[in-house]
Amino acid sequence: MKAQINGKEYSFESSDTILKLARRNGIYIPTLCELHDTGHAPGTCRVCMVEVRTEGAEAAYVTACDTPLQDGARIYTRTPKVQELRRMQLDLMMGDHNQDCASCSRHGACELIDVADAVGLKKSSISIQPLQTAPCEAADSAVVYDQSRCIRCMRCVSICRDTQGVDALEVSGRGVNSAIVIKDGKTRNESDCVSCGQCVMVCPTGALSERDQTQEVIDYLADPKIVTVFQIAPSIRVGFGEEFGLEPGGNVEGKVVAALRAIGADVILDTNFAADVVIMEEGTEVLGRVTRSEGTTFTSCCPGWVDFAEKNFPQILPMLSSTRSPQQVLGSLAKTYLPNKMDIDPARIRVVSIMPCTAKKNEAARPELGKDGIPDVDIVLTIREFARLLRREGVDLRELEPSAFDDPLMSEYSGAGVIFGTTGGVMEAAIRTLYFVANGKELDGIEVHAVRGFDNVREATIEVGGKVGTLKVAMAHGLTAARAISEAVLAGTVKYDFIEVMACPGGCIDGGGHLRSKKRYLKHAQERRNGLFAIDRKTKARQSHNNLQVQKLYRDFLGEPNSHHAHELLHTHYHAHQQEARVCLKKIWADKE
Amino acid sequence: MNQLTYGVWDGKVYDFRNGSPEANDALPALSGLDTFAPDNTVQAFVADRGFLVFDPAVSLVETFWMYMQRAAEESCGKCTPCRVGTSQLRDELDAMRKGRGDASRLDAIALLAEQIATTSLCGLGKSCSRALQSAIAHFKEVFEQEIAAGETRTQHGMVYATAPCIEACPAKLDVPHYIDDIRDGKPSHALGIILDKYPMASSCGRVCVRFCELACRRKDAEGAVGIKMLKRFAADQAYTPGHSLFSKDLVRPVLDTPKRVAVVGAGPAGITCAYQLLRNGIDVDVLDSQHKAGGMTSVGIPSYRLPKDVLKAETEDAITRLGGRMLYGKTLGSDYSVSDLLAQGYDSVFLGYGASRGTLLGVKDEDPSLKGYYSGIDFLKDVHDHVEDGKPFSLDGEVVVVGGGNVAMDCVRSAVRMGAKKVHLVYRRTVADMPADHEEIEASEKEGVVFHCLTNPSRLISADGVVTGVEVVTMRQTEMDAKGRRSVEAVPGSESILRCEYVIAAIGQQVDRATLSEADGIATDRWGCIVADTDTLVTSREAVFAGGDCVLGPLTLIHAMDQGAKAAASITEYLKNGTTTVKPEQRMQRMLAASKLVSGECLDRELVDKQRFTMPELSVADRVNTFEEVEQVISQEEAYREADRCLRCYRLYSVITESPLAAPQTSTQYA
Repeated sequence: MKAQINGKEYSFESSDTILKLARRNGIYIPTLCELHDTGHAPGTCRVCMVEVRTEGAEAAYVTACDTPLQDGARIYTRTPKVQELRRMQLDLMMGDHNQDCASCSRHGACELIDVADAVGLKKSSISIQPLQTAPCEAADSAVVYDQSRCIRCMRCVSICRDTQGVDALEVSGRGVNSAIVIKDGKTRNESDCVSCGQCVMVCPTGALSERDQTQEVIDYLADPKIVTVFQIAPSIRVGFGEEFGLEPGGNVEGKVVAALRAIGADVILDTNFAADVVIMEEGTEVLGRVTRSEGTTFTSCCPGWVDFAEKNFPQILPMLSSTRSPQQVLGSLAKTYLPNKMDIDPARIRVVSIMPCTAKKNEAARPELGKDGIPDVDIVLTIREFARLLRREGVDLRELEPSAFDDPLMSEYSGAGVIFGTTGGVMEAAIRTLYFVANGKELDGIEVHAVRGFDNVREATIEVGGKVGTLKVAMAHGLTAARAISEAVLAGTVKYDFIEVMACPGGCIDGGGHLRSKKRYLKHAQERRNGLFAIDRKTKARQSHNNLQVQKLYRDFLGEPNSHHAHELLHTHYHAHQQEARVCLKKIWADKE
Repeated sequence: MNQLTYGVWDGKVYDFRNGSPEANDALPALSGLDTFAPDNTVQAFVADRGFLVFDPAVSLVETFWMYMQRAAEESCGKCTPCRVGTSQLRDELDAMRKGRGDASRLDAIALLAEQIATTSLCGLGKSCSRALQSAIAHFKEVFEQEIAAGETRTQHGMVYATAPCIEACPAKLDVPHYIDDIRDGKPSHALGIILDKYPMASSCGRVCVRFCELACRRKDAEGAVGIKMLKRFAADQAYTPGHSLFSKDLVRPVLDTPKRVAVVGAGPAGITCAYQLLRNGIDVDVLDSQHKAGGMTSVGIPSYRLPKDVLKAETEDAITRLGGRMLYGKTLGSDYSVSDLLAQGYDSVFLGYGASRGTLLGVKDEDPSLKGYYSGIDFLKDVHDHVEDGKPFSLDGEVVVVGGGNVAMDCVRSAVRMGAKKVHLVYRRTVADMPADHEEIEASEKEGVVFHCLTNPSRLISADGVVTGVEVVTMRQTEMDAKGRRSVEAVPGSESILRCEYVIAAIGQQVDRATLSEADGIATDRWGCIVADTDTLVTSREAVFAGGDCVLGPLTLIHAMDQGAKAAASITEYLKNGTTTVKPEQRMQRMLAASKLVSGECLDRELVDKQRFTMPELSVADRVNTFEEVEQVISQEEAYREADRCLRCYRLYSVITESPLAAPQTSTQYA
């Protein structure tokens, strides 16, 4: 079948929309609510207007994203009328949008502003109250929603429902009072939301963002009594350069270290080091459970997954590794091992994590991950907040000479530690060490390609040998996959020795705390993954047990992995908190009125 | 029609401000717009297709402000032009009516109205600003004069929001709204909308005949939205074992003094009436000749379509948890009379005793006392008593069921499950003519029922008081008549014998005439149906109301529930004021129906293909030997996908009337 766009003929398939055909042929039609990568085209923003002329009918004006092509249709994408319709649409959209752009989390990088620019909006003439009726989030919420900046594109609802399968959001209210809120009037933390932050990643405006804690970090830096200890997660070094115009996926570890020095960080540690410690602890756990035939072990380094398991699968909790996540291992050691060796008062230490993750904010706030009410990790900054911090401190990554970690205690890492950032990475790191423990020698070729890949649920059978024998493992990333594998394990339809779960599709390199991409979902997934594997290949030690600082930690401080001291500092426990959903008709009827 | 002064309808401009219309002026073909209620004339009418002004004193600003205010309220808020545009238009008109208008804004307002109409996503946005746009385009000077004059006058009237599916539903259930709630992630809110009308949401979600789906505009694309399956989904989501949705917390007393009402019949009409009265804080006793609630939905609908626990939860349990009493085993006509009830101190009586007598085939040698001869409803009752209460009942041999409605389908499918050797369905017309749901017809065929269409029974054959067969005659279709309908006639000499052990006449039911006596003073028609007012359900006897099958003849669940609810509203009003009135919404519905204003629309945009979901069901092999529910639940994900197919064909209709409209009898305070 054939249709014309702006006078030129193109052929198309019967299922094509006008937008698909135009895109395929490089014809630009402004869009806003639509998100091609996830197939999201709700048709709510009504920006992608085009004119369609068919034989014997008046010109029709339709949205390109949700209108199927008709054979012989003549489509015009920039008639004066079309341009006027698009312009007025943006005028209307600005009408109930909070245009205090200076205070917006999306400052300078907003899809709405881009589209307003694209349609040539020169002046907004409409202002509709109220701009804010939905309650703002509680003070302890990792993700915050600002209705006054919401354009009702429904991307967050779709990603939560369809991609993550969490379904924590509902649309409340009508008309200008409509808002995207947590289901059943709950707070975010008591709801099914696990703060994975994927909704933030797709939000085109500043309606959804992380709770901004950059000010608290600046206050720490300004306080001479405080010793600031920073840690950076594995994924930071491959997910930060593009903020400053550097190549996506490129390794900017040295520049990040230099930037932290520039803003006055006292101690700079690497979460990769803690990832190596996690392998020692968790690997020992798995080894014990496998040799004693105690059943499946699930990884526990992803707080979104832990929260998800606690909220949905209490029966899984006994199978979760008790080892804390790398962030919390480092936080704990930074307030015990570090001051012990540096001979300073632990009370002066503030640990700031830079994470590709929103859920880490909640993890750091868990009461059991601290001592006497003082959290092991004081502040978690997402990469976006870290970028904001550098902007506020006038630091431009491009202008910095790369520097290197110099902490003698907790900054060395192995290649196994750095690949924690991608799906399959924790598993691969564990297998490298388990192999050594079982056989007394390193795995030939080092890398375990059987666990790599991007399918949401993967499985592999690894001949580890020795006392471990054959290891059946699985990797799941994204919460839809996490749910599927949890249900299958509980139903007994699958049996694995060790299961790695990461809440975000792709793992931490696509975590909800990363820089946002406009109009794209998981835009840099592949570059970042390649970046991590490239670092792994260049690392001197490629197995966690070969990290010399890790060896020193056990020698000088902890003793053996899973020792009593290690248990006290590096392990944790979990609580089921499932909510019973009960419908209250009186409340529903009251809501309707 | 009233004297039209000016207006625009379907794009045509009418202006008789300087003289009456000539005889040859073609006026809009609308009827029933004269008076809204007795002694309350219509001064103006606004709809999606235009507006008509009958009284030159009408303020257009005030009229359109009222209309746009409702549009802004009804906007779901997702698409930009409707969300912001309707609010903006409302505010602009509000400024004008308060004397702060600016005539230079009129062109911008018309442009915005055009934007909303041209670019909105759903029917509401696409239709709500067209009338305003045309009014400014053709009668701008009226606005200018009103703006110059300052504040506008106060007007009476109402705006009514509806959609084709809503108007098609006897209960006028707000279908797009509850589908929206499901789509928005709030299935319990969807259920709230349904339960505000009637308690039997889960039952209706299983067995409703779905007038709404016949009216659905998706029907012309890939098939109607699965409205029934979404209703069932919403209900199933909310029902948790051991927890009832109903409690006395839901009672909001309307009356100042305690009143008691007797409801006769625990079928859908009676249960719905009792439910609404109880919510209004009125004491209710429900009397029924059976020993369980549900009426026809209990004995007449087999449990493979409607499980009994589901039915009980939203009939008997709902009533008793709201504080009502169920009085079983009491039959009107033999155990008590209507006069007895009033003498016992009931302030009002609702009659909803149904139509539960089978209809005879009317063929030679027919004798209801023959062994093996049943009416459809008696057969289903025996099956029910066997399956639910273990009363002995078995089928041994072949069964012939006569009829083509849902009761006939229930009979054949039940006979299959009872282990009949072979089950025949005899119907005088074609399969296409059968009034039964097509899903039921297909399921019966799959379950092995042998269809004999264009076949009619002509004689019952028996030996020693036992049915041994039925003589049938082949029918043929006659030529199409002037209205395009075909009749059927017997083919002479085509008689043949169908040997069988059972004959079930499922060709309809009727009211039991013995229920009422002359002394009750309640008028009935020639079929024995009670004569009751369509809107208020009042009967010829003071304080006595009636609804459901005993008024309508055997009809549907949703009709019965609607009449029960309407009667409850009337009874409440009667107990409060001693009068009953027709509700403005009912008048509006009648007005819209008279000119077919909501029906007959076609799709006005090309749609991306979204296939209707097919309900999962038990396999034929798994179901033919049991009375387990055949249709299974749909998942949350499937519900979202199905809900997303709704086009929200909302539109608004408004009347401006000479005098104020009646206020509804409700309370805002819970007990």
